[in-house]
Parts: sequence; structure tokens; C-alpha cells
Amino acid sequence: MHLSNETMNVGFVKKVEALSGTSVRRCFQCGKCSAGCPMAAFMEHPPNRIVRLLQLGQWERVLAGRSIWYCASCETCSTRCPNKVNLASIMDALRKLSWDADGPSKESYVQLANRLFIENIRTYGRQYELRLGAAFNLKSGQFLKDLMLGPKLLARGKLKMFHSKNKNLPEIEAIFSRIEEMRKKGEAL
Amino acid sequence: MSRIGVFVCHCGENVSRTVDVERVAKEAGEISGVAYSCDYKYMCSDPGQNLLKKAVAEQNLDGVVVAACSPRMHEKTFRKAAAASGLNPYLCDMANIREHCSWVHENREEATAKASDIVKLMVERVKKGKALAPITVPVTKKALVIGGGIAGIQAALDIADSGHQVLLVEREPSIGGHMAQLSETFPTLDCSQCIMTPKMVDVANHPNITLYTFAEIEKVEGYIGNFSVTVRRKARSVDEDKCTGCGICMTKCPKKKIPNDFDQGHGMRTAIYVPFPQAVPNTPVIDRENCTMFQSGNCGVCAKVCGPGAVDFQQEDRITVEAVGAIVVATGFKLYSIDRKPEGSPIQGYGEFGYGTIPDVIDGMTFERLASASGPTGGKILRPSDGREPKQVVFIQCVGSRAREKGISYCSKVCCMYTAKHTMLYHHKVHDGQAYVFYMDARTPGKGYDEFWRRAVEEEEAVYIRGMVSRMYQRGGKIVVMGSDTLVGVQVEIEADLVVLATAVQAQEGADLLAQKLGISYDKYNFYSEAHAKLKPVECATAGIYLAGACQGPKDIPDTVSQASAAAAKVMMLFSKDQMERDPVVAKVNEKYCVGCLACKKVCPYGAVEEKEIRDRQGNLVKVTAYVNPGVCGGCGTCQATCPSKSVELDGYTDEQIMAMIEAL
Amino acid sequence: MTPKKHVLDYSYYPGCSLHASGREYDISTRALFKALNMGLKEVPGWFCCGATPAHNVDELLSLSLCAKNLSLAETVEGDLAVACAACFSRLKTTQHHLKGDEAKRKQVEKAIDGPAALGKPVKHILEILARDFGLARLEGNVKKPLMGLKVACYYGCLLTRPPEVPDLDDCEDPSIMEDILRALGAEPVKWSHRMECCGANFTLSRPGVVLKLSNAILESAQAADADCIMVACPLCHGNLDIRQQGIKEKYAPEVTLMGNIFGSDQKQGNSDGGEPRRETPIFYVTQLAALAMGAPTDKLGLESIIIDPMPLLREKKLL
Repeated sequence: MHLSNETMNVGFVKKVEALSGTSVRRCFQCGKCSAGCPMAAFMEHPPNRIVRLLQLGQWERVLAGRSIWYCASCETCSTRCPNKVNLASIMDALRKLSWDADGPSKESYVQLANRLFIENIRTYGRQYELRLGAAFNLKSGQFLKDLMLGPKLLARGKLKMFHSKNKNLPEIEAIFSRIEEMRKKGEAL
Repeated sequence: MSRIGVFVCHCGENVSRTVDVERVAKEAGEISGVAYSCDYKYMCSDPGQNLLKKAVAEQNLDGVVVAACSPRMHEKTFRKAAAASGLNPYLCDMANIREHCSWVHENREEATAKASDIVKLMVERVKKGKALAPITVPVTKKALVIGGGIAGIQAALDIADSGHQVLLVEREPSIGGHMAQLSETFPTLDCSQCIMTPKMVDVANHPNITLYTFAEIEKVEGYIGNFSVTVRRKARSVDEDKCTGCGICMTKCPKKKIPNDFDQGHGMRTAIYVPFPQAVPNTPVIDRENCTMFQSGNCGVCAKVCGPGAVDFQQEDRITVEAVGAIVVATGFKLYSIDRKPEGSPIQGYGEFGYGTIPDVIDGMTFERLASASGPTGGKILRPSDGREPKQVVFIQCVGSRAREKGISYCSKVCCMYTAKHTMLYHHKVHDGQAYVFYMDARTPGKGYDEFWRRAVEEEEAVYIRGMVSRMYQRGGKIVVMGSDTLVGVQVEIEADLVVLATAVQAQEGADLLAQKLGISYDKYNFYSEAHAKLKPVECATAGIYLAGACQGPKDIPDTVSQASAAAAKVMMLFSKDQMERDPVVAKVNEKYCVGCLACKKVCPYGAVEEKEIRDRQGNLVKVTAYVNPGVCGGCGTCQATCPSKSVELDGYTDEQIMAMIEAL
Repeated sequence: MTPKKHVLDYSYYPGCSLHASGREYDISTRALFKALNMGLKEVPGWFCCGATPAHNVDELLSLSLCAKNLSLAETVEGDLAVACAACFSRLKTTQHHLKGDEAKRKQVEKAIDGPAALGKPVKHILEILARDFGLARLEGNVKKPLMGLKVACYYGCLLTRPPEVPDLDDCEDPSIMEDILRALGAEPVKWSHRMECCGANFTLSRPGVVLKLSNAILESAQAADADCIMVACPLCHGNLDIRQQGIKEKYAPEVTLMGNIFGSDQKQGNSDGGEPRRETPIFYVTQLAALAMGAPTDKLGLESIIIDPMPLLREKKLL
């Protein structure tokens, strides 16, 4: 790793700090976050290493991997950090920056699920779970995934076949549009 | 007509780089009342001072203003020079054109104008100044040492050996403090009690030391050289003069299962007890709350078996008032506990470590007691839950320390060393045991310290894991510790038989209350504040009170002993004179105008204001006024600002002087 | 006949899951409130709070969706009762962030084109039961104490973490669920995994994660000798209940005759080789509470739970 003013992207880190409202420099790499993270085994960079890479301004390595997408937002790290580094918010901020950049991340399934979830809100207002599951299977090419669960859940009334649109849908659409406008105008990150 | 001399210093380049010193000197010369004005490169140097002395003599100056650095740097220097040439030193003042001007501005024009103004201010002040003489206060050559741990013991011995009287007051029934609880000490692995007990015995036997144990400070009044301290000697229920220390009472006492504080609650003691076998004095104390005799009126076995008849159930607390000239505070520390803390407390407990409910999760001092030959397990490392020998012990560093989220942001300084020591003690006693240490850094700066730590890692086979522990829980009689190794980048899980936490060093219980009684400052963690972090580490801002040991901040034994001797040296400095000189910048009350509202007394931070009765020749009371004790007054001027009738003024900072300064601008 | 005046009244935000895969939670919550004579009025036109996916990639969107829902809630009297832990967390986080960050609040108000309604207290069902209604009163209303039922209370992540936001209970050692359980006459067990993450919404995109994490939870509950697990979040319920079969197959498969013949070397029982994995019914807190209040047992959504709870309830004579 060659470190210099050019290779350390401080601007990116400042953006992460602004989005997350916490300081990356406070972390002294004690590792308590990684010790308690339920998902650390699935990540190629455990949480403390993500922060370390940020401290060194190495944003590409952070966004390229799948680590940030495997964060479960369980908030254990932020709760236990001795320096009150809000790691959960940092993960949110990194995901957003990766999402915006439509980035080089390898983790497509989790991103796909997130995208379909938000689309549901925009289309129906509330989660249409059957559609969510079916669309995910289709788009991820895992047609047979959880196939046996579907009928079981339907039979017990846990899944609705059909879903009506929420009466406040125009308002929801307006919220989405307004946020897009604000971002275009640079009024929001 | 005044004849003031103004000396404008270049201070090398510090001032002259930004301020046109020649112009300032010229403009100063034009002020009415200034008889002589010059500039010079380094006023504080010998030639600079000689220049000042020569000018005072030749120009017949009756006041001096040195425009240079902060008075905190060189006021003493120039006042001495002025005094040497026959001028009253308090008619020599400094105009700060460095810290207040050249160091904080960039624009040369504006800075020079400001410097001129500052000089003008000080000239007007000196014009209205008065010649003052230092105040002398008598000194009582007896010292009070509060706290009988190693710091208090060392300070007491040093002062006593220099020929002065010492009163040592200790809250517990015996002196020794935390050092007496330790098993072996780093970096030499000396047996703690073996090196300490000779000193404890010296204290008890020293002709110049009066030892009050099981005693507390009730009230402190007075000022440096002249303190009046009220001490409460709590009732031991045993007559110290009659007791021979034979110990029969303890063997016969029927209440045998009271958790012993000395063993961190893991050992048992009787209701009539000495805290540990080597206690000094070896006189027992009755714990009245747990004694059957005091609780229900039946028993009294100890009194029956006591040969000399020393047990005295009727004994009461004794209050004595002592006159001392200096106080050394050596009250030590207490250890942080991971227990649940009250709602809203700034200090948090550790829920992820069980809030203290898991029996085999102990703190460092408890481990010391387990390892100690005089401890509850006779020196064997055994699990508190089932008494079995632990084969896997996990040590966790920085529990509470360096964790601002938990309320403590500082480092406790001693834990890296004592944990390394613990791994060695464990290895020596349990040959097939494995010690793991979760750490963030290894802070081992002292003499031989780093080598000691490396010995733990390399020779004693402790496994040091760089990372912290997120949580621990019980599973099948063991404790599952979930930590991480940040160097490898993996989560680490260990099934421990015993977990030892290196908990934070905190200020002693009741430290804030004692500080308030003494009138000394303390920080947000209740550690006592030294007067200057680098240059005055053993003095307080309050004159006459000195600090020694962990009460000032976490500290190991070598540093504690050094600091104790340093505090003793300061006391000896004080006692080396019969009279003490104090700065005469003190407040004086004009008794003619004072109506005795005593608002000044309420606001005085030093407690220097007393009431004074003004009587006529027949002895009738005319009025009560305020009176400022010149020995205690710190010269802050708060009374002057508060007084509604303008009856109290600071010598050297009178209202007239201050108005002149304001009008000069 | 005029209905009795309610003891307490609440507005209600069920959240998307409660209308679908978590419908038992909705059914039993309504049944419980009815049994306790507490009013529960659903906020008209509420919509998805965004849960985890929204704040994971777009915090401003998440805050805006929640802020709008809070505005809608203003139209109904009473503090806002929330059953789903994720919705609870998002709504409270929104109030907390917007109260503390002036700039962010302005952005959100621009996005929703209206003021941010931060005044209405958002309360989880647990605190309504334990604090508003009160444990003593709850105990007094019990008609059928859940005697002999050993329950592992599972908190999951979002009810108590992060410490400043939910303000529900201590985030390392909470007791609110156990307190409620004791008031109901049941016996809470001490177990090690009550605060551990179940895998949350990875159930859709990466179910393998859920299988691993929820397995640890089920294993720990069984080791503590619990008869069942009680939850207060539909996602946790789903992961522990809907996926329980899958978890058992992966981590604690039963050795079958066919397996033995064809040389399967899978060990019987749990992943650590312990005793065979029992089926552990997963209950919602409102189901157990409504049961104890004597609500009709067919109105509790018990039949919707995948792992059949009936044998257990019959055994403990609670039906």
C-alpha cells in the first residue's frame, strides 16, 4: 500500500463522516466491534478493518468488497464501541455511496433484495411479500429457492396472493421525487 | 511627579518580529510621568537586568514597567532586579506585549499600536501604585499525612526522619493500603508485604510519628503554616493501650463468616478482627454492624476471653483538634467495578461481561488475593465458583479505561504491567495452565518494564491476543469469551475457566468530599489537581497542601514513592523557616466603610474572609466588619468586584489603579 | 349498549409484516388489547417505514418515510403503539435524529413537504404492557396463568440497541420481557443468546446467514431447557419459526435408516454433537399474554405458526 496525499482519499472519508455523523479517527482499532459482529465470518474485511481502511483513505478496497453488504444492522458494534464510533451509521453511509456509484461491489444478492424492497414501497406503499420473494428468485436466477415454503405460508394465511395499492401512494411517489430533486440540486447528500 | 522607567524588550525576535519596539519605546517616552524609556534585545539577560538597575539608580526612577513577555515568566526576575537597585519590587510591573500581542497578531501596524496601549496602561497603573512589603506568617512545624498506604507511609517517614512531627491519619483499621493486598510486585516480583511491612513497623515505632488508624478527617480550617484539623477517631471498641495483639478474641468470636474487604469479599473474617495478620497497629476493631453483641445484646465472648480486658463495648468516637503546618494528601485509589451503575451515572458498568454476576469473572485485585500466600485460598489459584484449578485463564485489559463511552477516557497506567505479572504468577503456580491476554497496546515504559512484559510473552508462554472482547457468557460451567484478533483479522472464541479483568483505577471513595473539606481542586474523575502538570506535580493550587500517590492519578509503586518523597521535600522546605513570606497582593478591608454584609465572605474561594468585631473603648460592639486574613488571601480580587460599598481592595490592584488603566486607553 | 370506556387508548402502526407473514402478531395484539380493554386504532393510510433496506442505502429516504408516517399518526388519538421491532426502531430513530439534527430535519421536511411530527411518543407493545398498563395490573388480569411453561425470552437486536434510541431497557441485560412473563405466571429461563442477532432480513437474500445465526439461538434455548421461545418482532419470529425446519436439516439432522445404509456420516443431533434437536415453538409475546388473559384460543393466530405449538400447549394444559 503506497501512502501519500494522492492515494489517501480524504474527501471520501469526510463524505462518509458527514453522512454518518460520526468520526472515523476516533477508532483506535481495539477490535471489539469485530469480536461481537454476528456477520464477521461472512465478511472479507471485519468491521474494524473497514474503519482502518477508511482511516487510510482506501475507499476502493472498502466499496469493492462484499463486507459492507453483509452487515446485518444489528447495532452491536455501535453499542459496544468504547469510543462511541457509530459503526452502524458508517456502514449505512458506505452502502449508500456504493449504491450511488452503482459500484464495483461483488454483492449482488443483497443489493438486489434492497432494491426490490424499495421498489415495493414505490409501487404498492406496503411490502407485497409474495412479489418480493418471487421477483428476487426470478432476478437472481434462483428459481427453486424456498420453493417449498411458498405454499406452506400461503396456506396459513401468512402470504397474500394479491395486494392493493396504498391510498397514500401519490404522496409516497412525491417523497421519492422530491428527494431525487434535492440530490440533483445538491441540497442533500 | 512620577519618574517611571519603561524598558521595551525585543525578546529576540518574539516581540520585534511583529511589534515595532523602537516606536513603542519612543511613544512611551512621551507619556507624562515617564522619565526614561528604551528598548533592548533581551531584558531578562544579565546585561538587560543591569540596564534596568543602572537606569533606576541613575535616573532616580520611582517605578518601572518592563514591556516584554508574560509576568508568569519573569515578573520575579525583574522585581528582584528592581529590589536590588533599591526600588520597592511591587512598583515594578510587566506589560505583556508578547503573549497578549506579538504572538497573537500578524498586522504590524495594529500590533504596534496595541503594544503602545498596553504599555500606557501599565504606566498609569504603576503611577498609582504603592510600595508593599511581603507578609510573614508563622509556621507550625507539624505535618498531617492523610492516608496510610505506601505514599502516606513514605511521606510520613521522610518528614519524620528530617526531625519534624507527623500525624498520620488512616481510614482503615490498619495502614498498608492496596500495596498490602498485592502478592508480588513488578518488575522484580518482590513479595509486596515483605518490602512493605518493615516500613509499616517503622511508622508505628517512629518517635516523630503519631498514628491514628480507623480515623477520618472531619474538618479542615486555616491556611498554610497554620491549619486546624478536626480528626474523628472512630470507636474500635478495643482499648489500644491495653490490647497486646494476642488475637484470642478473634479465635473465639462466633461470627466467622463475614466477607473480608481485604480479600475483595472472597475470604472470611470475624466480627472482631484485624484486616490482615501483619496489620499495623495489631489492635483489632469490632465491626459493630455485624457484631452480635451490638446488634442484639448477647455475646461478649471476646471481652470475656481478653486477658488485659481491652475490649470496651462502651467506647465512643473521639474528636481531636490538631494544629499542623502542612498537609500531605495520600488517599490512594479504588478499583472500578463492572457492576450495573445507577441510572444517569456518567460511569457505565459492563453488561456484556455479566454486570458482575458471573462468579468466575474477577478483577485484578481479587487475582492478587488468590495468588497471595495469606489469601483466601492460601496462594492457590482456584475458581471462586467450585474451587477447581483453572486450566484456561483469560485476562482482559482496558476494562473501563480508555473508554469514553463508559465514562473513563484515561489510561490506568499499571494494568499492562500487572497483567503480565499475573500471567507469570499463574504460570508459576499452574504449570499446565494457559494464560491468554486480550490487549490493545502494551504500555510498559519504566525501567525494566518492557523486558518484563517480553518475558511474560516469550518465556512464560502467555498468549497475547491483540484485540478486545465483545462479550462473555456462561456455558456448561465455563465462560465463553468472544473476542477478536485484529492482527490476524478473525474472531476468537475461548472457553475460559477463569476470567480476570484489568479494571480501571479510579479515585478513592469519598475523594470529592475530602477535597471539599480541604479546599483543593479535583478533576471530573475526582483525581486531585496538581498546581502545574509539569512543574508543580506535588503541590496544589491551595498553598500548604501537597499530593502524593494515586490520589493525583493512576500510578505504580516506584512513581508513588518518588512523589511521596517529593511531597515530603516540599513540606520540609516549608518547615525550614520559622516564618513564611507571602506575596503582599492581598485584599484589605476599609473598616470605616464596610457595613458587614459579608458578601465577600460568600464569594471568597479561599475562605480568607473572617468577621471582625469593631468595639469602642468601653468594649461595646460598634459594628461587625469583614476582615481578610492576609495569610490565606490568594489575591484573586473577587471580593473587590463583589463589594457593594467598595470597601475592600486588593493592594496592587486598587480601584484607583484600575480606573487609571481604563482611562488611559 | 355503550361500550365500557377504555383503560388506555393507542394509535396503532402494525407495519407490513403484521399484515402478511407476521399476521399472528397482529391478530394476537388486537385480541390482547381487547382482553385488557385498551383501545387500539390503526393509523389510516400508513405505509412501509422502509425497515432495514431503506436506511441501509438511503437514510434520507428512510427518515422521510417514517416522518410522513408519524404525521399520519397525528390524526389518531393516543400514543403510537408499534409491534414490530424494526418499525419501532426506525420510527424512534427518526424522532431522535430529527430532534437532534436541525439540518437533517429541514431536508426531511422538504422531502415530505410538511412539518416533522416529533411529539407523539412511540411505544413498543412491551413497554405498553409493562409500564403503561403496569405489571401489577397485568398480573391482576391473568385468568389462565401459564404455569409450568418455561420460556426463553428473545430480544433480538432492535428492541434495545443502540442505547440512546429505543430507550426501552438496558441493552446488555434487559428484563422487560421476563418481567411480563413472570406476571403471566410463566417461568423465564436464563440463557446466553437472548440478545444475539437472528440474521434479520438476510432471510430473503442470503438465507444461509439466517440458518447459521438462528441455529445458535435455537441451540442455546434448548441447552437452557426452554419449552419455547418468545419474541416481539415478526422478522425474528420468521427466522426462528419458518426456517426452523431448514436449520435442523442443516445443523442437526436426524440420522435416518436410509442415511445409515447409504453411508451417511452425519452425526445425530446438534452441530456440537449434543442431544437431538427438539422442535421449539416460537410465540409472540402478545400470543402468550392474550392466552393468559383468557382470550379465545382460536383468535390468537396459533394455527399460523409453522412449528406446531399445540402439542406443547396441550401438554402444559394451557388450552
